[in-house]
Amino acid sequence: MARPAVVPAALEPGRAGGGLAIPGTLRWLPLYLIVIVGAVAMVLPFYWMVVTAVSPATDIIAFPPKWIPSYLTWEHFKEAWARAPWLVYYKNSLVVAVVSVGASLLFGLFAGYAFAVYEFPLQNVLFLLILGTLMVPVQVTSVALYVFLAKIGWVDTYLGILAPNFASAFGVFWIRQAIKAIPNDLIDAARIDGAGEVRIVTTVITPLIKTTLAAVAMLLFLSSWNDFLWPVIIINSQGLRTIPVAIALFKDPYGNINYGPLMAGTVIATGPMLIAYAFSQRFMIRGIALTGLK
Amino acid sequence: MHRRHYLHAYLFIAPVTILFGLFRIWPSIQTLYFSFFNVELLKGRLTFIGLENFVDLIHDELFLSAIRHTLIFALGIVPISAALGMILAVLFNEELRLKEFFKAIYFAPMVTSTVAAAVVWWWLYNPQFGLFNVILKLLHLPGQPWLLSSKMALPAVIIFSIWKTLGYNMVIYVAGLQGIPQEFYEAATIDGAGPLHRFFRITLPLLAPTTTFVFIYNSIFAFQAFDQVYVLTGGGPAHATSVVVLELYNQAFQRYRFGYASAEAMVLFLFILAVTIVQYVYSRRTEVAY
Repeated sequence: MARPAVVPAALEPGRAGGGLAIPGTLRWLPLYLIVIVGAVAMVLPFYWMVVTAVSPATDIIAFPPKWIPSYLTWEHFKEAWARAPWLVYYKNSLVVAVVSVGASLLFGLFAGYAFAVYEFPLQNVLFLLILGTLMVPVQVTSVALYVFLAKIGWVDTYLGILAPNFASAFGVFWIRQAIKAIPNDLIDAARIDGAGEVRIVTTVITPLIKTTLAAVAMLLFLSSWNDFLWPVIIINSQGLRTIPVAIALFKDPYGNINYGPLMAGTVIATGPMLIAYAFSQRFMIRGIALTGLK
Repeated sequence: MHRRHYLHAYLFIAPVTILFGLFRIWPSIQTLYFSFFNVELLKGRLTFIGLENFVDLIHDELFLSAIRHTLIFALGIVPISAALGMILAVLFNEELRLKEFFKAIYFAPMVTSTVAAAVVWWWLYNPQFGLFNVILKLLHLPGQPWLLSSKMALPAVIIFSIWKTLGYNMVIYVAGLQGIPQEFYEAATIDGAGPLHRFFRITLPLLAPTTTFVFIYNSIFAFQAFDQVYVLTGGGPAHATSVVVLELYNQAFQRYRFGYASAEAMVLFLFILAVTIVQYVYSRRTEVAY
């Protein structure tokens, strides 16, 4: 743990500089103040989302604002629940996320192994081609991809939503990096023991790189779960909507005042992910920071 | 010895290669191809029209203003979000109680769906009852039209996007700061450098590679912005917040002009390509050795 964060006491600003001896607490006060004010601003939208969702209608439009609801009501949740098939949306988001994470990990594991361990003709060309796709995001290819999928009849199907997400270039890249760090002797030893290549990948390599696999899985799950542009292009029927598509279209029929059910809807949509984040924030922050989102 | 594994190698990379070939690389080539055609999907007809799509683009006020908005959007978000991220990272580099808790709060918007978060902000921006104007009223300041005014809508979308991406930049800068050897600070302090001096002479220059990464990464994301604009304004009022991806989306999936939209996609790709090349050149020049 070489963390250079802590400045040794003798070198702290204000003391070493020129005898400006400010008492400890006073010196930290502005620092805490900035951090806390900023944090309140960051949390405010989340807080107001929840408060609006559980406040009676009169509170929502009250002035001065009711920071704490005069009483809790579940009315908005009941209305939001009655207005849209949220369980279907959840199921769709889950199916898409699980299949795309599962397929990307499985295919990425074998491809990453091949790129890390073997030497074969066209290896570098193929690897660069796969990485090169990162430069052409779905925002660029969506039109042509739609035309292609329309031809093979994948528009408005699960397969259509999944098509660009069956494999992940980031996944292949990070898995390859992790496998490269494993000593070749280990793989050779397994071969001498008579293990086939597929078994080496599944029983020797996989346990060794499970941290990387977990980070990649989390990242892919998150980006699939929150993905909007591609699903909104490829989905027409309500029964296939994923949660982001559902919440965006849930917003539209609302007039100016009926924000209670809308915020209840966003709580339903964001709740599970925020709870998962609350329990695993270190893991998620590190994973996203290390690999770069999406 | 290696030859034995050719079969394995190609079998192992086959699924990824085929999937990428079909759903990533083929559409990329098709995008370029379609940009020279008039594509009528329902009739299944392709008509070659040469550079006509691109010529039309240059004269298309809507597309030009979408490019303008996208650039303003990027110029608004990137420096502010990067600066705030850096300031937070420097603060979090000090000994703070509950540091991890605060970091988690700043990062929370990053794991939230952009669409859902934008729906919440749409409510906050409501001119009559939205929280922002309510707070302004509490402070006896005039309420703002926010998303309803063609002048304020784009800044409002930018503010949302800064809130959304700030945490990511903070975490990247925290990692960058940990790469700076502590001895530099100790030496500078012994030489009598104050905190500000140390920040501008040590922290800032040594964070240059991190800053390059943050700028590039955020720019590319800003070019691709779609979700928040779709939800907050739908491109309005009066096209004041229309961005390239939204314009492309409308051309393709509202007006079914797939060839024209492909030409727009090519322009977007050129933007991303340009930024990537800048990054490549720049990162070669600024590699720092400790």
